[in-house]
Amino acid sequence: MTDLATVDAEHAPGECAVRVAGEIDLSNARDVLDLVTRLVPEETRRVVVDLSGVDYLDSAAISMLFRLAETLTRRRQELRLVVPDASPVRAVVRLTQLDRVVPVTSSL
Amino acid sequence: MTALLVAVGYYLGARLGLGLSLVEENVTPLWPPTGIAVAAFLLFGRSLWPAVAVAAFAVNLPISEGLPAALATAAGNTVAPWVAALLLERVGFRRQLDRLRDAAAVVFLGALASMLISATIGSLTLLASGAIEVDRLPSAWAVWWTGDAMGVLVVTPFLLSLALFRELPPWSPVRWAEAVAVLATLTAVSLAAAYSERQLLFLVLPVVGWAAWRLQLRAAAPAALVAAMVATWSAARGLGPFHHGSLLEQMLTLQAFNACIALTSFIFAAMVTERMRAAEDRATRDHTIATILQRSLLPAGMPEVPGVTLAARYVPATSDVQVGGDWYDVVPLPGGQLGLAIGDVAGHGLTAAATMGQVRMAVRAYALQEPSPESVLTGVHRLMTDLGMPDMVTLTYLLFDPVTGSLRLSNAGHPPALVIDAGGRTSYLESAMSPPVGVTAHAAYPEVEHVLAPGTTLVLYTDGLVERRGVSIQEGLDSLARLATEHAEDGLESLCDLLLGSLLGDDGVQDDVAMLVLRTVSLVDGPLDVRLEAVPRSLRLMRATLRHWLRAADIGSADEHDILLACGEACANVVQHAYGATPGVMEVRATLVDHGVHLSVRDRGSWRPAADRGGGWGLQLMRELMDSVEVLQDPEGTEVLMRRTVDTGGGA
Repeated sequence: MTDLATVDAEHAPGECAVRVAGEIDLSNARDVLDLVTRLVPEETRRVVVDLSGVDYLDSAAISMLFRLAETLTRRRQELRLVVPDASPVRAVVRLTQLDRVVPVTSSL
Repeated sequence: MTALLVAVGYYLGARLGLGLSLVEENVTPLWPPTGIAVAAFLLFGRSLWPAVAVAAFAVNLPISEGLPAALATAAGNTVAPWVAALLLERVGFRRQLDRLRDAAAVVFLGALASMLISATIGSLTLLASGAIEVDRLPSAWAVWWTGDAMGVLVVTPFLLSLALFRELPPWSPVRWAEAVAVLATLTAVSLAAAYSERQLLFLVLPVVGWAAWRLQLRAAAPAALVAAMVATWSAARGLGPFHHGSLLEQMLTLQAFNACIALTSFIFAAMVTERMRAAEDRATRDHTIATILQRSLLPAGMPEVPGVTLAARYVPATSDVQVGGDWYDVVPLPGGQLGLAIGDVAGHGLTAAATMGQVRMAVRAYALQEPSPESVLTGVHRLMTDLGMPDMVTLTYLLFDPVTGSLRLSNAGHPPALVIDAGGRTSYLESAMSPPVGVTAHAAYPEVEHVLAPGTTLVLYTDGLVERRGVSIQEGLDSLARLATEHAEDGLESLCDLLLGSLLGDDGVQDDVAMLVLRTVSLVDGPLDVRLEAVPRSLRLMRATLRHWLRAADIGSADEHDILLACGEACANVVQHAYGATPGVMEVRATLVDHGVHLSVRDRGSWRPAADRGGGWGLQLMRELMDSVEVLQDPEGTEVLMRRTVDTGGGA
């Protein structure tokens, strides 16, 4: 948890859902990445990062998500992002073509 | 000119000395011109010796047996004070006579040693010129020596003390009155003793002691001069105590008395001055340390916060012991809010300054953890109680949101904050009061909430601003409010200066004053103009400010998100690339133009080309999100200009 964003995780067999809420920018992107990586157990196959509660995401946050995807791929884990259609961050995900690298769905 | 005055003074002093002679015109127990010459050499330099030599010759010619004798005596009378001045300068004599060693130097080097010269030359000349027989040589020598030495002991300190009136801080009328009283008493006692048949001369000593103890050299030296003159005059006339006894007895009594008077006066004065200075030095040192400590514990500057202007002052008390304990602080909080504190640790000096430093840091720490006033004051209270800090602290803490103007306040025993609205109307925030922190075992800190409209000024201060001796606190508060109304239009810096200047007066600051002034600036009327420190944590504050402005301008949420992101990217670039190790500022300006928003993000640094960090999407994103993006570079820095048409009047 950083004071700008909150991160918490829910574990189910074979799947881990990490909910991020708040704002992610240059000031806290690295902290959020560290938290998410720490919250995801190595043995979990599927990882869902739910960005429904995120109001702001800048390019530093986007590159954090790219890096997360790389890390999880190395660990042979599948990453999926949840970004609702009406989310304020939908545009930046599309503009940076993050959705070409990581599957993005509009709901859990 | 000085030489002429010295010569005339010397000559007149000699006439006076001759008038005081015990027998005819050659046994003089007090020879003032020698003292005048020593003082003249010390004050104006030894190069004045020709003036002394000429005057000495003029004095001696009529009373000497022929020209050679007059020349020889004059030479002796010139060399002796010249040597006296030389010896005193060599030992580092300070003519302020404010150290015991200076007093001792005058006695032993200035008077007793140097006058051996004039006495020896003078008495041998008397012998050689046939004025005296060999058998009278020892007594002539002794009279000469003591007369010259007394001249130095009595007259030199007096003349040196006159110079002090120009050099030292002037006396207050009360001191002058005391000086007049002591000299009047002394003259009366001296004259009474001089006319009395009984031996009452010793009664003069306590009066000289009084002068030295209370007023030091400036009164003691004149007192000694008066006492010695009266005694010598009475001896010359054979009055009172000098009516009986042989010439030798009279001489002994007189010289012993004069020596006592002279030594008591300036040695005692020197000791008192020395001790006073030591105490003063100690107090000054404490004052300086407390002031430096105090200043180093106060914020170095005011943060840049959109939506407010801030100014602060700290004025240490002028008095030696009253410094310390007052403080103010501005804590920028992560959510874009501000924690403002003003407080006063009871007591003064180093202890109060040290406690202040601890309490200030405690306030900051608690504010960052949970910024509500109630929680901060409770935290500080608990800390002080747990640590057993004996001090009492008055403290007002406020949580202010520059975007909404909302203010939450709690006041623990501190003078009420003053609010000046845009029209100049004033009110004191007198609710949400509780006892000072650290006083009661269990404390509750109620809060009150206000909203400050744009253009409102909030004045936080410590009691030194409104409390003055002889003036009730209510009068102080009324003057503050009146001045604030009259100068509501002034800029904050000049408002601070004016309030301090008018309320503290000219006669020194009796108690410390800390002052913190905040004025709200509209973030929504007209263009947005904010300056922020170019550091990552400023990004959020920039967004909050811009979001508030965009919403007030009725710009739809889709446009809002895009503009926020574009501006955020431009600012992040400034944060990452514009400055080196020392962070600078970024300036964000937004204007509404017809159906468009113009956005400018400016830095004052040497732009480094965007490193390939963060994927390098910054500029690309800006171009995608906005209709146009221009990057302008000039020697001062870089400006990113972005434009975008927007929907106004309805949501997206």
